[in-house]
Amino acid sequence: MECRVLSVQSHVVRGYVGNKSACFPLQVLGFEVDSINSVQFSNHTGYGHWKGQVLNADELQVLYEGLRLNQLMQYDYILTGYSRDESFLQRVVDMIQELRNINPKLVYVCDPVMGDHGSMYVPEVLLPVYKEKVVPIAEILTPNQFEAELLTGRKITSEQDALEVMAALHDAGPHTVVITSSDLPSPRGPEYLVALGSQRTVCEDGSVKTQCVRMDVPREDAVFVGTGDLFAALLLAWTHTHPKDLKTACEKTVSTMHHVIKRTMAYARTVAVGRRPTAAELELRMIQSKADIEGPSIVVEAQLI
Amino acid sequence: MHEMECRVLSIQSHVVRGYVGNKSASFPLQVLGFEVDSINSVQFSNHTGYSHWKGQVLTADELHVLYEGIKLNNVNHYDYVLTGYTRDTSFLEMVVDIVQELKRANPNLVYVCDPVLGDHGSMYVPQILHPVYKNKVVPVADIITPNQFEAELLTGKNISTEKDAVEVMDLLHQMGPDTVVITSSDLPSRLGDRFLVSLGSQRIVMPDGTRKTQRIRMEVPKVDAVFVGTGDLFAAMLLAWTHHFPTDLKMACEKTFSVMHHVIKRTISYAHKMAGPGRRPTPAQLELRMVQSKADIEDPAIVIEATVL
Repeated sequence: MECRVLSVQSHVVRGYVGNKSACFPLQVLGFEVDSINSVQFSNHTGYGHWKGQVLNADELQVLYEGLRLNQLMQYDYILTGYSRDESFLQRVVDMIQELRNINPKLVYVCDPVMGDHGSMYVPEVLLPVYKEKVVPIAEILTPNQFEAELLTGRKITSEQDALEVMAALHDAGPHTVVITSSDLPSPRGPEYLVALGSQRTVCEDGSVKTQCVRMDVPREDAVFVGTGDLFAALLLAWTHTHPKDLKTACEKTVSTMHHVIKRTMAYARTVAVGRRPTAAELELRMIQSKADIEGPSIVVEAQLI
Repeated sequence: MHEMECRVLSIQSHVVRGYVGNKSASFPLQVLGFEVDSINSVQFSNHTGYSHWKGQVLTADELHVLYEGIKLNNVNHYDYVLTGYTRDTSFLEMVVDIVQELKRANPNLVYVCDPVLGDHGSMYVPQILHPVYKNKVVPVADIITPNQFEAELLTGKNISTEKDAVEVMDLLHQMGPDTVVITSSDLPSRLGDRFLVSLGSQRIVMPDGTRKTQRIRMEVPKVDAVFVGTGDLFAAMLLAWTHHFPTDLKMACEKTFSVMHHVIKRTISYAHKMAGPGRRPTPAQLELRMVQSKADIEDPAIVIEATVL
């Protein structure tokens, strides 16, 4: 497989978030991954302490110049996630537009990280940047419910609302949208959360077809960090293999997530006997999950809706 | 299933594109089941063998800040430290401080050091690094992977015969490391001029307390191309295979050199295909085919045998 991804995300010395979460699975699945580290921190910010350095928009530009001078601008995918800096995000948008001029088939996979459970955890000024500049150039988007609501200005209280929000997001740009988690009640009970996906494809005769899926995903009784980054990377990989079959792409992505999380929980419980695991103990068991990443057994089925 | 719990701290360069430094070392170690914590000493667009390169370097203070973060969270516990190419004296000295502190936290820590100084008779790092490696770094290293030039520089002794090489490796043992691999040399190979000679030496303490030194020699096929990142891959794989074979340098080297051979062979083949007949491949085309070599990394077929001296 000759497929090159440019991933612009955080780097942590220890643990699995940002590029640390995305690169290994993509490489294991055979993708060439070029990675620009937007920050270098000792660890993610859910620990008691974190220290490190951030890349500014100008430094990002310098790295990009290096690639450009060597004519190394041929990418099949761009992948971005958590960002706190408006000018940095704007510079990423400029880069993507230039890279798309070089390869019009470029696919931009964007996790529009803004917040969760009703509140933003990035500066508010990023919302208009995502809405007006980023989402319109994205092909694949992985918002959670809160982010999907923020981007469309609409609330989701039913599956029908979710379908309409995803349609609105299609109109805004991306042909593939996965709402990675929601508060919608699952028919399987409170131990499950509902994730939804929608993919709009143009058929050969010019007609537009939309495939929508719903997944009932087992809830986890722990706070994981880096799972969103892993999700977006896996969705990139599995939509690459199944470009017109969102059902299968989602089943593989969500199933891999399940295996990684289950292994992580089991490990955390063995090292934190009788107490709550620490952030360090809850780091994703990424490399131990290599086999699941390579060939996930399907444990979550997506329903076509 | 028993999971390996082994954590490596690797302090090396990061390139956006390509395979040198941490980009060369991390994936293979992770694929072999090691937890790899990586401090990126620089972030460059690509390695410096291309026509252009751009990026930023980490200072010794910034390195210290990152280490502080790890320490404040009480997770400064490592089984291995791995370092390679450095240009900055104060950075290298900070690395030594970190290694010493980590060894106090874990006395069994193994420091794998590629003492990158130069090759083919000339230094390609600032000269001032030479005494730092000699007096500060090598004494705290457990495994080193110098080439012939670096081994000569560190010991002040020239290598023109296998016997010289053995003496140089003994001198290096006395400076600190129990395991030394001279990754390449100009010594004439028994298999002819299409091969180069590598040597290794490992000093171990037997159960009865006596000391034994195992010395090996390998005839390694030469390759007609300049690769970048191969030394970084070598040190990472030697870390992995000495971990699995801690008292069998022959086996560890056979695995390591064999992996190198498979990766390089795949890379050359790809590079020539991309460059077309009669054309020299570019640095971009010669980037190691790392991701494509996963199966060889996981389980290398032995294609190079080591002779015990």
